[in-house]
Amino acid sequence: MTARKPINIFLAVQKALFLRELGMRFTISKMGLFWTFFEPFMQIMVFIIMKLVLFGGSSENFDFAVFLALNFTAYNLFKNILTKSMGAFIANKALFIYKQVKPIDTIIARVFVEVFITGIIILIFIIIGVYFNFDLNIKNLPMVMLGMLWISFFGFSFGVFLAVGNTFYPSISKIINIFSTFLMFGSAIFYTIEMLPSQIQNYLLYNPLVHFIEMIHGFYFFTLNDRFVDYLYMLFWTITPLYLGLFLYKNLEERIISL
Amino acid sequence: MIELKNVTKYFRTNEGKNYILKNASLQIPSDTNIGILGRNGTGKSTIMRMLGQIEFPNYGTITSEYTFSWPLGLAGGFVGNMTGKANVKFVCRLYGKTKIETQNIINYVKNFSELGDYFEMPIKTYSSGMRGRLSFGLSLSFDFDYMLIDETLSVGDARFKKKSKEALHEKIKECNILLVSHDMGTLKELCNGGIVVNQGRIDYYSKIEDAINEYLKINK
Repeated sequence: MTARKPINIFLAVQKALFLRELGMRFTISKMGLFWTFFEPFMQIMVFIIMKLVLFGGSSENFDFAVFLALNFTAYNLFKNILTKSMGAFIANKALFIYKQVKPIDTIIARVFVEVFITGIIILIFIIIGVYFNFDLNIKNLPMVMLGMLWISFFGFSFGVFLAVGNTFYPSISKIINIFSTFLMFGSAIFYTIEMLPSQIQNYLLYNPLVHFIEMIHGFYFFTLNDRFVDYLYMLFWTITPLYLGLFLYKNLEERIISL
Repeated sequence: MIELKNVTKYFRTNEGKNYILKNASLQIPSDTNIGILGRNGTGKSTIMRMLGQIEFPNYGTITSEYTFSWPLGLAGGFVGNMTGKANVKFVCRLYGKTKIETQNIINYVKNFSELGDYFEMPIKTYSSGMRGRLSFGLSLSFDFDYMLIDETLSVGDARFKKKSKEALHEKIKECNILLVSHDMGTLKELCNGGIVVNQGRIDYYSKIEDAINEYLKINK
């Protein structure tokens, strides 16, 4: 057998894992596939109805449905990357008999799968938006895309850290799953920080996810802005878990392989 | 040559450390088919996995310029919801095979495993024998310097056993094997040299007969 270059091995492994993950998603059950794409619509519907019942008709100066679609897409992207990464080592440990499959490859492949699926969901949203004549003008598309990529990377860096932890302490994933529901309510998804009293603003701004969501909808809508966003704080929360995660991973990689 | 240098490997148990290897050094010459002998639980499979670089020593190094297969008999990494064919394709992709190579491997595995229509069915519908046949055929269709085999000759019915033994004889002409087995007949038939693992020690014998005698002595 001729030796392959490391980059070629990495790409071959990524391609194989990506197609495998995607295949698993789409073959496990027809309902699973249906929910993957239908869940975001359910979320948006529920919160639109809730808002109509609680606060009545439109009072804000942006399209609330588009606002929800955007925020939920970003939040789901983060949450799915995080939870899928967290379980990647344990779910794929049977693959580590192939020595070219490094544990972190399984996380990277899962991130790509999530980004790919989110891409399809965005496409569906756009088609629906065009069909029903929603206002789809974007203030600053490159910054919105940067925000989306950054939030994916944030999910990845937290995911690596938690994946290593979860391998040795499986209760971590249970705690995170409970925590992520609370996180949804405290992440500026159905409101903007500007709408809130300043007392609550100060507390919520400790949540790094708030900054990501505020950045994304701040650059999307002409009537919103990013004045609450602290980019250094976002950077800190991206780099710290990534560094810790990779440090732990490097030291424990062999133990994870021979799990 | 495969070289073990001061290799220590242990597993933690409630009673303390259970040593598989204690500061063991060993050189295994090239171009030999090697049988690994030892009593149950002495760590034969662990040693094989270490040679295949999917398990690592606590101390010391194992070096070799060879490529090793994944351990046969560990039918690992198959997705139950995907077809046999899709699973074979996955492994081909992992090894970066081209389209033509992949097609050849698929045809070979399909013929060898005798799965027929089941080859296009989800693996969860397979019996354990069918699964074993698939994974055995799959590993035969890849080229490595060393094949790691963990007592997989016992897959399937009598006829398939005979067929797989013949296929393995054919395969040995172009590659070497490391075989973990409790069957002395198989070991004599397929291996030239032998390794005996016992209580943290590991010894190499250039003749498989010597290894078997030593193993029988331990077992008394």
